[in-house]
Amino acid sequence: MTGVTTPQGPVERVPVLEVENISVAYAAARGAVRAVNNVSFTLHKGEALALIGESGSGKTTLALALIRMLVRAAKVTEGRVRYVKNGAAQDVLGLSEREIRRFRWSECAMVFQGAQNAFNPVLRLSEQFSDTARAHGKGDRAWVKRRTLELFKLVRLDPERVYNAYPHELSGGMKQRALLALGVLLDPQVVILDEPTTALDILTQRAIIDVLAEMQDRLGFSIIFISHDLALAAEMADRVATMYAGEIIETGTVDDIFYEPLHPYTLGLLRSVPRLSGSQDLISIPGSPPDLISPPPGCKFHPRCPFASERCRSEAPPLEDFGAGHLAACWHTDRVVEARQGLWSDGAVVTRG
Amino acid sequence: MQTSKTLTGPPPLESGWLSRVVSSYAVRTLLQALLTIWAVVTFTFFLIRLMPGNPIDVYVGFLMNQSNLTYGEALQQAASQFSFDPNASVFQQYLGYLGDLVRGDLGTSITSTGTQVVDQIARFLPWTLFCVGLGLLISFVLGMTIGMLIAYYRNSVLDTAVSFFASVLGAVPDYIWGLLILVVFGVQLGWFNIGELRGTYDPGLTPGFTPAFIWSVVRHAFLPVLVYVIGTLGSWILNMRSSTTSVLGEDYVNVARARGLTPGRIATTYVGRNAALPLFTLLAVNIGLVIGGSVIIEELFVYKGIGSFLFFSISQRDYTSMQGVFLVIAVSVVVANILADLLYSSLDPRVRIEGER
Amino acid sequence: MSTPILEFRRVSRSFGEGRAAVPVLRNVDLSVNELEFLCLVGESGCGKTTTGKILSGLLPPTGGRVLFEGQDVSTLKGEAYGRYRRAVQIVHQDPYASLNPTQSIFDILRYPLLRHGFAKNHKQAHTRASELLELVGLTPTADVIGKYPHQLSGGQRQRVSIARALTTQPKVIVADEAVSMVDVSIRISILKTLMKMRETLGLTIVFITHDLALAKYFAWEGRIAVMYLGRVVEVGATRDVTGRPQHPYTKTLLSAIPEPDPDRTRRKEQLSLRSEDVPSLTELPAGCTFHPRCPFFEPGRCDREEPELEAVPRAESDARVACLPLTEDGTLRPYGG
Ligand SMILES: Nc1ncnc2c1ncn2[C@@H]1O[C@H](COP(=O)(O)OP(=O)(O)OP(=O)(O)O)[C@@H](O)[C@H]1O
Ligand SMILES: Nc1ncnc2c1ncn2[C@@H]1O[C@H](COP(=O)(O)OP(=O)(O)OP(=O)(O)O)[C@@H](O)[C@H]1O
Ligand code: SF4
Ligand SMILES: [Mg+2]
Ligand SMILES: [Mg+2]
Repeated sequence: MTGVTTPQGPVERVPVLEVENISVAYAAARGAVRAVNNVSFTLHKGEALALIGESGSGKTTLALALIRMLVRAAKVTEGRVRYVKNGAAQDVLGLSEREIRRFRWSECAMVFQGAQNAFNPVLRLSEQFSDTARAHGKGDRAWVKRRTLELFKLVRLDPERVYNAYPHELSGGMKQRALLALGVLLDPQVVILDEPTTALDILTQRAIIDVLAEMQDRLGFSIIFISHDLALAAEMADRVATMYAGEIIETGTVDDIFYEPLHPYTLGLLRSVPRLSGSQDLISIPGSPPDLISPPPGCKFHPRCPFASERCRSEAPPLEDFGAGHLAACWHTDRVVEARQGLWSDGAVVTRG
Repeated sequence: MQTSKTLTGPPPLESGWLSRVVSSYAVRTLLQALLTIWAVVTFTFFLIRLMPGNPIDVYVGFLMNQSNLTYGEALQQAASQFSFDPNASVFQQYLGYLGDLVRGDLGTSITSTGTQVVDQIARFLPWTLFCVGLGLLISFVLGMTIGMLIAYYRNSVLDTAVSFFASVLGAVPDYIWGLLILVVFGVQLGWFNIGELRGTYDPGLTPGFTPAFIWSVVRHAFLPVLVYVIGTLGSWILNMRSSTTSVLGEDYVNVARARGLTPGRIATTYVGRNAALPLFTLLAVNIGLVIGGSVIIEELFVYKGIGSFLFFSISQRDYTSMQGVFLVIAVSVVVANILADLLYSSLDPRVRIEGER
Repeated sequence: MSTPILEFRRVSRSFGEGRAAVPVLRNVDLSVNELEFLCLVGESGCGKTTTGKILSGLLPPTGGRVLFEGQDVSTLKGEAYGRYRRAVQIVHQDPYASLNPTQSIFDILRYPLLRHGFAKNHKQAHTRASELLELVGLTPTADVIGKYPHQLSGGQRQRVSIARALTTQPKVIVADEAVSMVDVSIRISILKTLMKMRETLGLTIVFITHDLALAKYFAWEGRIAVMYLGRVVEVGATRDVTGRPQHPYTKTLLSAIPEPDPDRTRRKEQLSLRSEDVPSLTELPAGCTFHPRCPFFEPGRCDREEPELEAVPRAESDARVACLPLTEDGTLRPYGG
């Protein structure tokens, strides 16, 4: 791929994670829940990719598949995950139990949804940092301590106090920041954040966002960031992928997705989010997400889509490239282009031509 | 932070030294313990004296049968032998007893004059503590291990079978297990010579750290300990299973896996330690129950511990001895509770005892 | 202006006794006017739910007075009290916990209808329940009425909660985070239903949320009260509070919120707090409780006296705020600057 200009300037596009055609299904009493379907994307070095979509669209399942932490009822039915480090590629799905244990956290760390209880309540934070390092063969105590204190400072925690603290002595926001510090302890290339700020206060959330940006700047890891909060994605992401019913239905740079959406669902999401500045009318997406055991034929969004035609009802649209890495799966993107005209008309500054 | 006292909050209470002393953890615990013990002592004191027959009546009956004395003669002889005045009012007796107790004097046995109750207790109590302690320790450790194991393999055949077995164990009272063991192993199979296993060790041996003595102690304690283990194992297994199951669903266990920790480290420090916590509170309750239950078990196996001593005292209506044993049981339960509390708080940093406001 | 339908006069509420008492609300003055849309916003634990519960009579205050149509509710007796309780209904946050799973939707609506005499028999109750379900947009009602809560989606359940609140023909609905647990795409339609009902049924709505953008959108014609640690720190017309925030806390909050607009959110100017720790309710800072974090803190002033809600001199905003430098001088100076 060639260099793409983002608002921060040209970024060297070195892939670190290549996901190809991955599908995941849960075995349920009624049949297979096809939670992730034929998803492909590439994560580049230093990039923040946001996965957005409503509840049940398969965001968490996809992330869990990447580090092979799916529950027993779930199976990766097809696909490949390639992890690239220093030019050498690894097939993540083919790693042995032992190798995948080492892979987790040292190559790819994941901060789970609702991480308020992410720390073992009976161990001091220092012990949880050191046992993580030890599990990955980095047992040098002095090194671990130095690195831990350094990271605490980076996430704006009082290093001395937090080092010896038990988890219950920290507030929710402090725990979340400590967890971010733990996430980068082993200098992973990829950090997956599942709803990292949900259930946190606005001011706490702001602190986390700022800390993350600073950390990424300093340490240069890539982020896969899962959220249904569009505002958060707008702030943190370089690229965005919209998921619907287990599929990525649109992906592009953050500006592509927010200013020039090509899929009716993305447009629908943008239209239903209240904004602090500007005062456009909010329109909700009618209907509810499809049943993943027997999804509708054709485009899975068609029962809720204002532009659905006969073709949409019978034939599934492929994810097509509309230029510069902006991909969308919809038969009627032209009508979306028309419909999105008024989206930012109320005074928002659209800088891109 | 520059937080001083709030201006708008409620006015602080009058906080004299007294309220501060009472609110300190150690003092509060001690007061609570003393109160509990006093309540038990008082309750049992009057309860004992409500039992039909008093020690003199019992002894008079015995003398009349044995030596063909008339009632009057027997009564006189009995009264002269016992340090017990049946004519003093119960309340006077109570006050006298409390007074002695405060001075650390448990009194002398009513029926065997001259024997200090304290000595008797010192003689019998260690054996009971040894058996009950060992039994509980074994079943606690075993139950936790098995419970955790089946929680890891929950809904497997192993889990179903063990859970069923554990509920059966837990549902049958321990004295039934005692009887069963006695009948099956002692009488029917003849694996143990019950007659030989009377007492706490073989007569004729001198206590000491000799192999013969230790072996004898182990042999004699084996069956009672087995009963204590069987009687409590089921509940430990089931409790540990449910506790482990819920801990396995906790975020921090998942995160620990994502952190790439080894399965061993996760099982011990992340799952095991947290799952065991609630069981420590149960331990205190169990110590009380098991010591109480030892009365029947020890009698069954003719094991000379505090339980069988109590049994004997009851049959003799030996008020002071009974009273002494009840006191010991109350104290051990209270102490066990305090120990379990301390243990729990040292294991769980969230429960901090000192300096709590 | 006419008498507010609900009014707080120096209302306080604490939980616990004596030294262990936690002051959750302190001297709150607040009025809810008839037919208005009032939003209560603030961070977790600032006392929004407690305020909502006291408004609807579910919780008594431990200090101050609550007035319903000008009358102190603690003096209301018998039918008058019943009328107050029926007139103010609350919709809870969690649509999963607030509906009894063993009752069908019809049962959930039928019991309050019959108990309060809004239906005389089964048949009337059925008719009324269908009307209510139609009103909250759960159509076709015949499909829904026999179902149990677990057979409905989160959004549908929340609509049932609203229908239940409407059974007593209330004047005021207190919606406590009524949409925070449902998906973005569904949220808006529920809120629109609520707005429509406000017009058709003549409802007053107290809307509790931590989402300022949402508050702004729905209370555009109404007012917003911003709460911090058990006090109202700024209250005024929505346009003023969101467009020209006065109180330092409101300013910080608004500057901290990310916006669903990449350019704008990246360029947004941040006000940074002096401390990220939220003080505990049991150890409230002296003076203005926001002072340890406030970017406009004035030593010797803010940490002495607790400010009361007052108008800001020379401001374009009509909002009333609780901030001494602001209400006395009409301006703020950055700390240390
Ligand atoms: N253990 C399971 N068994 C069966 N189905 C499951 C299981 N876990 C998840 N699913 C289903 O898989 C789908 C995707 O779930 P997933 O948790 O990945 O969604 P999500 O996008 O992360 O949603 P949210 O935003 O609510 O976290 C959902 O429809 C869910 O019901
Ligand atoms: N019954 C209670 N007993 C003790 N403390 C309580 C009780 N109810 C609420 N609190 C405390 O009062 C404070 C305010 O609670 P409240 O539920 O009103 O906050 P809130 O603003 O609704 O927060 P959230 O946004 O999290 O719902 C919290 O610190 C809470 O812990
Ligand atoms: S393909 Fe058809 S139904 Fe699907 S999103 Fe596009 S227009 Fe709508
Ligand atoms: Mg998820
Ligand atoms: Mg609340």
